Amino acid sequence: MWRITIKGLLAHKLRLALTGLAIVLGVTFVTGTFVLTDTLHNTFTGLFNKVYQNIDLEIRGTAAFSNPSGGTAIRKPFSESLLSRVRAVPGVTIADGGVGGYAQYVAKNGKAITTGGAPTIGATFEPDRQLSSLKLVEGTGPQNASQVVMDQGTARKYGFHVGDRVEILLPGAPQTFTISGIVRFGTANNLAGATIAAFQLATAQRLFGKVGQLDTIDIIVASGANRSTVGRSVAAMLPRGVEVVTGQTVANEDSSSINQALGFFSTGLLVFAFISLFVGAFTIFNTFSIIVGQRTRELALLRIIGASERQIFRSVLLEAFLLGLAASIVGLGLGVLTAMGLDALLKAFGIALPQGPLVFAPRTVVVALIVGVGVTVISAISPARRAVRIPPIAALASYLRASAESPRRRFVIGVAIGALGVLALVVGVGKPAIQLVGLGAVAIFIGVGMLAPLVARPISGVLGRPLAAIFGASGKLGRRNSMRSPRRTAQTASALMVGLALVSTFTVFGASISQSATSGIKDAVIADYIITASSAGAPQSGFSAAAAAAVARVPGVTTVSSINGGMFEFRRSVLNLTAISPQDVSRTVILRMDSGAGASALSNGDLLIDTTTANSKHLQVGERIRVTFAETGPTTVRIGGIFKSNAVLGSYVVGDNFFRSHFAANTLPVAILLRASRGSSAGTTAAIRAGLESYPNLKIQTRAQFIETQQAQVNQLLGLIYALLALAILIALIGIVNTLMLSVFERTREIGLLRAVGMRRRQVRAMIRSEAVILSVFGAVIGIVVGTGLGVALADSLKQQGITDISVPYASLAIFLVVAALLGLAAATWPARRAAQLNVLDAIAVE
Amino acid sequence: MTTVSQSVSDTHESPRIVAAHAVNLVKSYGSGDAEVRALKGINLEFEKGKFTAVMGPSGSGKSTLMHCMAGLDVPTSGQTFIGELEVGNLNDASLTQLRRDRIGFIFQSFNLVPTLTAGENITLPVDLAGGKVDKQWFDFLVGELGIADRLSHRPSEMSGGQQQRTACARALIRRPELIFADEPTGNLDSNSSSEMLAFLRRSVTEYHQSIVMVTHDARGAAYADRVVFLADGELVGELISPSADAVLERMKQLGN
Ligand SMILES: Nc1ncnc2c1ncn2[C@@H]1O[C@H](COP(=O)(O)OP(=O)(O)OP(=O)(O)O)[C@@H](O)[C@H]1O
Ligand SMILES: [Mg+2]
Repeated sequence: MWRITIKGLLAHKLRLALTGLAIVLGVTFVTGTFVLTDTLHNTFTGLFNKVYQNIDLEIRGTAAFSNPSGGTAIRKPFSESLLSRVRAVPGVTIADGGVGGYAQYVAKNGKAITTGGAPTIGATFEPDRQLSSLKLVEGTGPQNASQVVMDQGTARKYGFHVGDRVEILLPGAPQTFTISGIVRFGTANNLAGATIAAFQLATAQRLFGKVGQLDTIDIIVASGANRSTVGRSVAAMLPRGVEVVTGQTVANEDSSSINQALGFFSTGLLVFAFISLFVGAFTIFNTFSIIVGQRTRELALLRIIGASERQIFRSVLLEAFLLGLAASIVGLGLGVLTAMGLDALLKAFGIALPQGPLVFAPRTVVVALIVGVGVTVISAISPARRAVRIPPIAALASYLRASAESPRRRFVIGVAIGALGVLALVVGVGKPAIQLVGLGAVAIFIGVGMLAPLVARPISGVLGRPLAAIFGASGKLGRRNSMRSPRRTAQTASALMVGLALVSTFTVFGASISQSATSGIKDAVIADYIITASSAGAPQSGFSAAAAAAVARVPGVTTVSSINGGMFEFRRSVLNLTAISPQDVSRTVILRMDSGAGASALSNGDLLIDTTTANSKHLQVGERIRVTFAETGPTTVRIGGIFKSNAVLGSYVVGDNFFRSHFAANTLPVAILLRASRGSSAGTTAAIRAGLESYPNLKIQTRAQFIETQQAQVNQLLGLIYALLALAILIALIGIVNTLMLSVFERTREIGLLRAVGMRRRQVRAMIRSEAVILSVFGAVIGIVVGTGLGVALADSLKQQGITDISVPYASLAIFLVVAALLGLAAATWPARRAAQLNVLDAIAVE
Repeated sequence: MTTVSQSVSDTHESPRIVAAHAVNLVKSYGSGDAEVRALKGINLEFEKGKFTAVMGPSGSGKSTLMHCMAGLDVPTSGQTFIGELEVGNLNDASLTQLRRDRIGFIFQSFNLVPTLTAGENITLPVDLAGGKVDKQWFDFLVGELGIADRLSHRPSEMSGGQQQRTACARALIRRPELIFADEPTGNLDSNSSSEMLAFLRRSVTEYHQSIVMVTHDARGAAYADRVVFLADGELVGELISPSADAVLERMKQLGN
């Protein structure tokens, strides 16, 4: 049997190569993701270890709670007086203090330098070269209050040199500094795109609003001294709220926060890699089904000669195993190349990543092989079982087909699996448990895939009608071909169905988010202008608090309201808090109260929560709840009112005064809301721009523009998702090419006959193309229907989370249908050419 | 060209119109030691409005001759003509058109497109040409062939005889100049095959259809106006208005 398997593989080289391609692509995706993220993980960990290798101990404020988004925790600064006492501790040789904060460079063209998500770090240049994590590569450290050192990455990219003057945006008004030196962060030009501006300690303290205070003290222990002993004696003298940790701890924390972000990145990519593999599984399943069908006689003959059912079963699975193995190995290789390419691509885009060797972990190989081989073999099980059911008599009968199972049974099983999937999906979304959602979606797709053959014949009949009208006899034949084996048609279309279902799901979901955001903002804000930082969302983002004063001076601006944001802990979860000045509330936002008071409650220092939160957490007006702030620790706050969900304010709102008493004075505003005497007019916009000229990092948007930006963000995300799903669609198309090729081989005689009775080459091509278009449109129609259903269900289930409007973008869905038809046409190119080139005589001579 | 056909027809008494002819037709497969000369210089013509049978032992080159004459295969040397048209000069598109418009085919098996019904199979050449079906002719054909009640059936739902008769109707639907039939009754029992042969005979007698039929069956050959005998790639004789016995006799000689 082993020999037969090998012979079988070799006999079907081409069709298997195409099938294998589906697996190769999936495995490439998995491998590429692993190698890239492992490599990044490794280099970052290495970098942080190197940076902190000389620091024995670090003193810092204790964190009240950890930052859930993976960033560094919020810590309270402590008095600078601690530094001299630490230096006096026996065993401490060197101790330097530092503070950090927001500092953003302005490029020579006057535009703020944005980092695309990485922090813009303002830091202290610690005088001790051994201690500092910043390594001078050029110039000197800052010698006075007007000097700064810049990271090499920024200097190179924006053409700054030692001696140049550079404007820097700060929590206060912007200032211009002279570059005294260029530094690296450890061995890297900078930190994954973060910019660094380091000042003398006193300067930094003044700029970041921390005069007389320190964020950290870094310590080097005397060579003879025991680090933990010194650590203990330092700890003994620290006041409450201040802690001492080892340099290694800091390194671990820093790298773990980056690695946590990398983990999200890698999980996101893996989800799409597995989607590709799942689509690939449909293709493999289909190919093996067809191959088994085509080999019915051969397999039956083997049974006559005496092959056992098990031998037949094993030979099919073995074929799948070998195919999966070969494809996975190729995929592994391509994955490594892809990772190298992506690494280079990221660098080309100016995301300066630290240098490091490519990491090819054994885990990558194991997972890639298991997944690649596993998917192939599992997909082949059902075709293998069908092969076993072929009776030996099939070798003799002339027109016998593999016995078709009853459509009833298929219907029942398909519906059952689909229903289970829906159940899992509903429960998963409700929980929410993302794995359950995924599992539910998989089950739904399998269920629909099982049901599809039942409707394949009538649907392709309807879809083929216009083609028959356009292409005449060839269209008619193409239509009939797509109807002749509903199961094959459905299986081939299923892969595309999954791809398009996901595309449609995200499209409907995205449109609903976009729509909800639009109406949400319309119902949330009445300000004429919304001013935000252009790199909003990045850690430590924000802008100078001084900007509010600057814009208030602009003629025509009547109300200026700064919005602040911060985090607090409530019932063990870390939540976002929004602060707004109570007297401006009515003029800038729409606050609709369900119960309790609004602005007056804010003035009283009460907390406002939205209806959704009140319901889900069972909170009532007048209740006092225990919360924890990073800077001031645990406290209680009264719930003053419950408001209808507001897209801009978030779920927890306090007044300015309350916020200031619990957050550091230098906390940066996240937005400024403006009202102008003449609303948003071109003249006012120009005046505001002029007034904020020295804050180039600010994005000034009218209410309408702000809404557009929100929509654009959703669309950008959708674009990314489409790009990631493109591979799955490609694999589905390979599946179509594959099926058509197999069909062309299988119908060699028939095509020869058609040619003999006068079919032109062009007509042969039109016939194959018609079939391809029917296949792909069939898959697309089902996929779009299923996907729209999923998208609506998903959006509906997230009503509580703020998706208030459900929107089905029919135009986009119609475009998908057309694109699917065109892709089907493209997929038919090669098979159609193949069919048209068949030699008539060879075709009819085949016996 | 005209001289050739004239010189050929000069050797016979009655003036005839030629539906197809071959001149020094040679066909070899392979090359060197492995070369098989399937046709070794055949000069032959098929008369218009006549039923010609081609006979010969297995491997004598009958199918090859037919394929070359019909433009399905390319001769190694020599020429073939359908009417006055030299087939060897045609490109694929013209060959396709030739087959579609001027030639009909009936093969031994696998004559029909499995996805199409019998009726659709019959009109396929017309559909492919984008023409209109001659409804009367169609009805007449299916009536004569006794498949009128099978028109909506798929090939898989028909008997071998019905399938062959359907193929017959398809070959005739456009009233081609010439029909090539390669053992059309090879898979049929004697009843079915007699019915079909009788029909072919009638289509020649009554509608002046020209038919070239390869057959192994002496009784089948007896339906023809003329039998030509092939052996080992060469033309080895012919019988005009043959009887089954005469054909059998000749075949026996060839067998030796
Ligand atoms: N494609 C081919 N390649 C090589 N040799 C071939 C090919 N086709 C036919 N032949 C050879 O040419 C010769 C004539 O074959 P052909 O099929 O014309 O015989 P035939 O008279 O039709 O036989 P039968 O009665 O068995 O159908 C045979 O020797 C055959 O082996
Ligand atoms: Mg033959």
